[in-house]
Amino acid sequence: MPVAARSSRRWLLPCLAVIAGAFLSLAACVVRADEPEAADPHAHHRAMLAQQVRRSEVAYALPNVRVVRQDGKAMSLADALGDDRVVVVNFIYTTCTTICPLSSQVFSQFQAKLGAARGRVHLVSFSIDPEQDTPARLVEYAKKFHAGPNWDHYTGAIEASIAVQRGFDAYRGDKMNHGPLTLLRAAHGKDWVRLDGFASADDLLAAYQDLVARH
Amino acid sequence: MRGPHLGVLCIALLCAAAAQSSAAPPGAGAALYLEGRLPDGRPLQAIGPNGVVARGADAACVNCHRRSGLGSREGDITVPPLTAAYLFRDGATNAADAALAHPPGTTPRSFAYTPETLLQTLVSGVRPDGRSLRAPMPHYVLDATAGRALTDYLASLGVAPAPGVGADEIVFATIVTPDAEPVAREAMLTVLRAYFATQAEAAAARRDEARPNGVAPYRATRRWRLQVWALSGPATDWQRQLGDYQAQDPAFALLSGMAGRDWAPVHAFCEQARVPCLFPNVDLPVVAEQDFYPLYYSRGVLLEAELLRARAAGVRRFVQLYRRDDIGLAAANALRAHAAGVVVEDRVLPAAATTLQARATQLAHALDGIGAEAATLLWLRGDDLRALGNPPPGRILASGLMAGLDDAPLPARWRARTEFAYPLDLPARRALRMRFPLAWLKAHDIPVTALRVQSDSWLACDILAGILEHVGDAYVPEYLVERLETMLGRRLSDGYYPRLGLAPGQRFASKGGALVRLAEDGTVVPVVDWLVP
Ligand code: HEC
Repeated sequence: MPVAARSSRRWLLPCLAVIAGAFLSLAACVVRADEPEAADPHAHHRAMLAQQVRRSEVAYALPNVRVVRQDGKAMSLADALGDDRVVVVNFIYTTCTTICPLSSQVFSQFQAKLGAARGRVHLVSFSIDPEQDTPARLVEYAKKFHAGPNWDHYTGAIEASIAVQRGFDAYRGDKMNHGPLTLLRAAHGKDWVRLDGFASADDLLAAYQDLVARH
Repeated sequence: MRGPHLGVLCIALLCAAAAQSSAAPPGAGAALYLEGRLPDGRPLQAIGPNGVVARGADAACVNCHRRSGLGSREGDITVPPLTAAYLFRDGATNAADAALAHPPGTTPRSFAYTPETLLQTLVSGVRPDGRSLRAPMPHYVLDATAGRALTDYLASLGVAPAPGVGADEIVFATIVTPDAEPVAREAMLTVLRAYFATQAEAAAARRDEARPNGVAPYRATRRWRLQVWALSGPATDWQRQLGDYQAQDPAFALLSGMAGRDWAPVHAFCEQARVPCLFPNVDLPVVAEQDFYPLYYSRGVLLEAELLRARAAGVRRFVQLYRRDDIGLAAANALRAHAAGVVVEDRVLPAAATTLQARATQLAHALDGIGAEAATLLWLRGDDLRALGNPPPGRILASGLMAGLDDAPLPARWRARTEFAYPLDLPARRALRMRFPLAWLKAHDIPVTALRVQSDSWLACDILAGILEHVGDAYVPEYLVERLETMLGRRLSDGYYPRLGLAPGQRFASKGGALVRLAEDGTVVPVVDWLVP
């Protein structure tokens, strides 16, 4: 449940800097100047939004539910998220073939790009298809994307999964309806930085560095 | 790096390759599209947004554009259709073509691709009209041979007329196997016939509405016609019989169906003949989630085996009872497969005994000498449960599906001590949902004779009707399955099941179950509300 949401323009600056500097991250920062498509302007608009990475900062009141890690260990959501590491969250399901492989690849790249800082960042992927995604299936999935020791995957009861998604304002009624989303938090009790859209590993790195610099 | 620079480079390479392009072997396009294998055998390489590289099966077009080639939609992301009718003619013509599927969210293009511009687009990531393809569409490393194989394949997609789809009707078949239980079989057939009769009336009414102004009848108004394909003789001959039925009067899909012990030949037929097989009444389905066409409610007794195993996690010794010729055999094997390091002893009863006395004798013999440390597992039908004598001293577990669920005729001495697997929602929790099938049965004057069969058969029809509303004009068997994968999880009420859901590579819609005891008065007493093993 978003308690306080304020969108931030700070995001624009690093983006522009990156574009000017190296022509990198173009896809993620800029809405492409696409030709207008006559028949369904709304579909086009929605698709444009999906391309853009929108940043906001939100204080979420997260539910008190239990989640289950890929090794079968059950714990509270707070424990899953809350140690002194920066936490970066996304949502996946293991049989998803369209969006999730890309999100997980990006986490995989981000993990590599963090270099020495890797141990200070906790990557957390929540399954939005928890009955299918048993801990064993999560282990298999994590292996496919070379998840290191600082990247955990969580499942749990369906009610818990929905509560977590609702907590992050990410519940869209059905697993097939989810969009690309990443959330970052500097430390326990801080606000979340929310990135809607296909954030690249460089986007995540920039957001992480920004978070650390401000914290 | 992404976009034009790499694109130019690739197009240059492409032109060089085009000069020496050779014909790809037959099937090369399908291998590329479905499996991500290039005509020369190397893995297909996709360069995704942000430079993410995927290879082979992970790069295959089918992941997003799906087997039908009609695309998909996930959240705000629309994956457009790729069949020739869409790509190789302009969008305005597409939009006007009522015979084409128009999946939600697709926007018509103002130009038509040619095989050449298509290949350039795939390689550069930029369309002929200058617009870049958006995430998650990758661009590809493809030479002219691969490009030709791919465009040939796309040109073949959706061209063959779907079987069983006529001008005014659409044909579905339901299967009854010779070993299907007669009461259950009749219960299913009565529901299907009533559902089809009502649908035909509604379709006729809609057609009449459409006619006066000369509007071509929308295909969704087609009347459903039901065929009952009764199989006979040994199971080894069923696949041939099904092939004959399909050749004579083809069906678009198989709907519901009533199995006895063996369903594998039907499953094999559906996969091989590419006929969707939707939610049969079968307690022993075929577990082969790489197969595409057969969809099931649940893994049935195989799910029960895992539920019971999970429930009895600490047990070091199991004794399993089943009849040699019944589905308990497969369930017992499934339990053993999940019980590494545990002693599992099977006490196999001979094929069906006829008299209560004979059953009692066989069962007493099979239960003889089971110690208190062992858990006894009953993969038995009601006829056998009735004949049970003295319970063994240890834990007792049983299959709810085989026993007859709430109506399991378990002797009093066994009741308090037996835990049943119950791969359905608990009665108290499903009561509200069950009002839908019950009201439907009542409205159609159908007495309740075998409620689970009746409810599941009604549900199969109801799911189909709901999905066909979202198929529009696209009567393509693969698209039907894909829509089910996408939409099944959005239903609000699924009878006996707390929720159903599928996805690519998921073929069992309900994943868990409860564990229960049965009280003297038949009340179901939950031991574990819901468990996903
Ligand atoms: C990861 C998902 C994904 C994969 C894999 C994928 N596509 Fe796409 N494809 C998309 C999306 C999403 C779009 C829509 C992009 C847009 O609107 O800009 C698209 C668009 C297209 C278009 C443009 C259609 C039009 O109407 O202009 C073509 C052509 C295409 N894909 C062909 C292919 C082929 C051929 C393959 C395999 C070699 C493939 N795609 C693999 C997701 C994918």
